[in-house]
Parts: sequence; structure tokens; C-alpha cells
Amino acid sequence: MRTVALIGLVALAAPAVARSQGRPTLAFRGDAGFVWVRSDSAPAGVGGAGPVRIRGPVLGGEGRLVFSQFAVGVGLLSGTLQNAGQTVKRDLIEGRLLVAARPVPWLEMSVGPFVRAYVTDSSTERWVFWQARARVDAPIVTASLTSYVELWRALSSQVNLVGGAGRVQGGEAGVVYRPPQRPYVLRLTYRVDDAVVRAVGSGSETLEAISLAVIVGGW
Amino acid sequence: MTRATVCLALSLLLGGRVLRAQSASELLGQGVRHYQALEYDAAAALLEQSLGRDSAAGVADSLRARALSYLAATELFRGQRDSAVAAFRQLVLLNPHYRPDELIFPPQVTNLFQEVRRATRAIAVAVPPVTELRPRLEGFFTARVLASSLADVAVTLAQEDGTPVRELYKGTVADSVVVTWDGRTAAGALADNGRYLLRVTPRSPTPDGPRARQVLLEVKQEPPDTLPWPPDLTTPPLLPERTSGAPAFRSLAAGLVVGAAAVALPSLLAQGKDATGARFAVGAAVGISGFVGFFARKPRPLEANVRANASLRETWKKKLEAVRTENATRLRSIRLVVRAGPETIAGRGSP
Repeated sequence: MRTVALIGLVALAAPAVARSQGRPTLAFRGDAGFVWVRSDSAPAGVGGAGPVRIRGPVLGGEGRLVFSQFAVGVGLLSGTLQNAGQTVKRDLIEGRLLVAARPVPWLEMSVGPFVRAYVTDSSTERWVFWQARARVDAPIVTASLTSYVELWRALSSQVNLVGGAGRVQGGEAGVVYRPPQRPYVLRLTYRVDDAVVRAVGSGSETLEAISLAVIVGGW
Repeated sequence: MTRATVCLALSLLLGGRVLRAQSASELLGQGVRHYQALEYDAAAALLEQSLGRDSAAGVADSLRARALSYLAATELFRGQRDSAVAAFRQLVLLNPHYRPDELIFPPQVTNLFQEVRRATRAIAVAVPPVTELRPRLEGFFTARVLASSLADVAVTLAQEDGTPVRELYKGTVADSVVVTWDGRTAAGALADNGRYLLRVTPRSPTPDGPRARQVLLEVKQEPPDTLPWPPDLTTPPLLPERTSGAPAFRSLAAGLVVGAAAVALPSLLAQGKDATGARFAVGAAVGISGFVGFFARKPRPLEANVRANASLRETWKKKLEAVRTENATRLRSIRLVVRAGPETIAGRGSP
């Protein structure tokens, strides 16, 4: 399955890259944020005493190779989440690959695999899904302040839980600030993802995150 | 009915038609030739016929005057002095300024004419058929008033309904006098379009005195072409003097909508889950960004455009003033066209 996905990703990226003109540019984004996870799925709700709420800081990054109106990228995010009493502790790891296209200046559409894992000393809950994302930019002050909204939905999903993965979707909204005559861009984002476990009564996992990012290069 | 009777009737009919077919000028020519051949009876008959011919259409005054001269001379040589006097009287009334040619007619004829002219008091007025004038600038309408003998006349201009317009001359006319009109009324205004009567009236009318004469004048103002007004100043060529308010409102709308979206995301995508307050922080930040954008892009004056527009407006005003001045000058030089009708006896209507 992974092989098929990678082939599909390359197949999507190759024509886009071929059609693009000019030299590609590199862009990087570094994220620092805070994540809240509300989980009432069976393994997450360890202890079986209702939903588990864990939270913690995360760090992440994403790199992109931009070909004019197209881009390919890879991202990673990691952090340690705990509940309020520090009795539950998990490591959160997210990784994604993407192929993005910008058919018009205010719209970016991307697709790619996404992996999220909650790791404990004894087990790992792993979600794998293919995302289709659409992002709309709404400039506030041209070239310096832009707001955006991005929504995504899983085209297919897997999870190593008993019930299996159900509907997975999410979105984010934020504002991007380009300081004048500076080589970087600042971004403030709020995002929420909701993943449902298919089996009746198996619950879901909701992730919220707020992050501040620094972006370098033509994103 | 015999063949001879038919032939006679036809010949009479055709003969009459042939005779009528001869024009007044041909009859006059024949009459003059008979006069020169001393055949006065035939000459008198032909000249009278020429005077009677084409009376409906009106024989030209010059022909009529010539015919009357020859007829008077013929009658005088036939011993018909009264008839000669009557013919000369008609001639004087027709044209008080006419004189029989002394190289053609002998002294007894011209002497009789002078005698009749002195005894016959007549006035006439001669005007050009068409006159164009520019009131106060150039040209006058001129009328020549003729008198057979010393006459005290008034030359007036009136509207067709009799409303006085202007008195052009008042005084004596020994032989002739030229009267001018500048196209204006007594009040100094330009004469309106319409029909006017130029009337020559004896100031002391007597039963045997000259009769008033008049000419119908058709007056038409022909205004000159004026320059078109310069087109109004619009955008373009005027530049906008303030930035548009639309971008400011777009910024505000973008910030508010995206901020609201951040707040609403959990409700839309993770219904029934307790969301944290983090979304409010980001939503507020985006909303505030919208207000920042609104104030950063609110309408403000564009000084460079204001200055450029001031220059354009000044140029436009100068152009407008130049056109106004030029048009005023052109309108002052309005053309007046005066078309004269035939001379008639006043009070008799049309000729």
C-alpha cells in the first residue's frame, strides 16, 4: 500500500514539476505550538474512565520544493503530551508528504499521505490517511498581512485500533505576517482534526493545536 | 355650313392664337420699327398691344417704361396730345426717375415729358433683391427713394401687422435719396426673423399728391457657427483624488470572516467535542488583523493626483473661457439676410 501511495504521489508530482517553468526554490517552515488531544477511543482512553485529555508543546517543521505554481513537501511534528495529573503520557509524532498546486493565487490544493502516531512505552496508536486539502488565502493588507482558511478530509484512512478508522477531517485558520524587508514570514495558526473510530461506541480523537511558525523562502 | 365658312372660322381662330403667341417685347419691337418708319397709327396699335399683353404675368418695368415712352411720342406725333400726356403720366408713376433718351426722342417729346413730370407727383422705392449685413459690423440695407418732383416723405420700417419698428428717414426728396438700415430696431435690438414693410409715405398727403409705396422685406437671422463646449472633465482624464474605500472593507471582511472561521472550526469539523479556548486567541488575532488592514487601507487623499487634477482643471477652465469668448464674438457677428419683394402701392396689399 505504501508503495502504491508513493508511486501515486510521484505520479501526481511529476507532471506538475514538468509543466512548471523556472528554477525551483526551497522553503522551510518551523513550528512551535501547543497541542490538545481529547481521546475517547479505547486505547487512548487508557484506564477506561471516560475521555482522556492530554496536552503539551510540540515542535515541527516542513520543507517544500516550489516549482512556480506547484510544490512538493515533507513535514514532521513531534511533542510529548500529558494529562493534567501527569498520569498519562504520550509522544505525538506526525509526518506528511504533499503535492500542492496553486491554480489561482488565492487557492492552494494539495494531496498526500499523513501519518499520526501516539506512542507510549507499551503501544503505538497509528493513523495513516490520505488527505485532500484546500486552502483559501484572503489578503488583509496586500503583501504583508494575509489570512487563510484550510480544510481537509481523508480520502482513505487506517488505524491500528479494533474498530478501524472512520471519517477523518480537519481544518485550520490563521494569519500570515510578512515583516517589511525581512527574509521570513510569521504565521499564527489554529487547527483542529477529528478522527472517528468506526466501531460503534469506540469514540473519536480530536486534536487541537495552536502554533506560531516562521517561514523562510517562497512558500 | 360651306367650306369657305369653315376656313374663315379656322383662320380667325388660328390668327388670334398666333397673335397672342407674340410676346410683349416682340410687339414693342414691331411698334418701335413702325414709329421709326413714321407709321404712327400702326405703331400706336402695336405699342398699346404690347402694354396690354402679358398684363397678368406683369411686363418688365423697363419694357413697360420703354413702351410708354414710344407710345407717348407716337401719340404726340399723331396729334393726340392728351393721350401722350396720359402715357407720360403712367410712365412717371411707374418710375419717377425715368427719363426718355434725348438722343432718340426729339425735344418736343422730352419737353412734354418734363412738363408732365413736373405736374405728376410720384414717389417710388428701389431696393436690392437680397442684402446680407452684419449689424454693427459691416453692411447696410439700402433703399433708394425716388421722386418725380420735390416730395416730403417719411421712410419707415414696420412689422407686417403694422407695428412700427423704426423710422429710417424723414425729409424732402428732390430727385432721389438713399436710405440705409443697420438691421436694428429703434430700441437697438437686432430685428427678429419675420416679414417687414418698408414704407415710403408722403408726410402731407393730398388727393393729387404721390401715393405711398411699400416693399415687403423678409428678414432672417443667420447665426454663425459656434465652437462646441469642451467636454466635461471626468475620470479619466481626471485622476482619482482619494484611494478607494473598497480595499479597506475587503481587509476588514477578510479578517473578520477568517477570525470567525477559526472560532467556528470545532463546531463545523468536530461537532459535540469540547474545544479549548485556543481558537478564540487565534480568531481574535485574525480579527484584529482585519481592523489593522482596514485602518491601513482606509481612503486617503492622493496629493500627487490632486495636484495633477488641479492643473487639468485650470487648463479646462481656460479652454472653456476661450470658447465662451470666441462664441460671444461670433454671435455678435450674426448675419442678417434681407430679401425684398416687389414694390407695391401702400394699402393695396400685394402687387
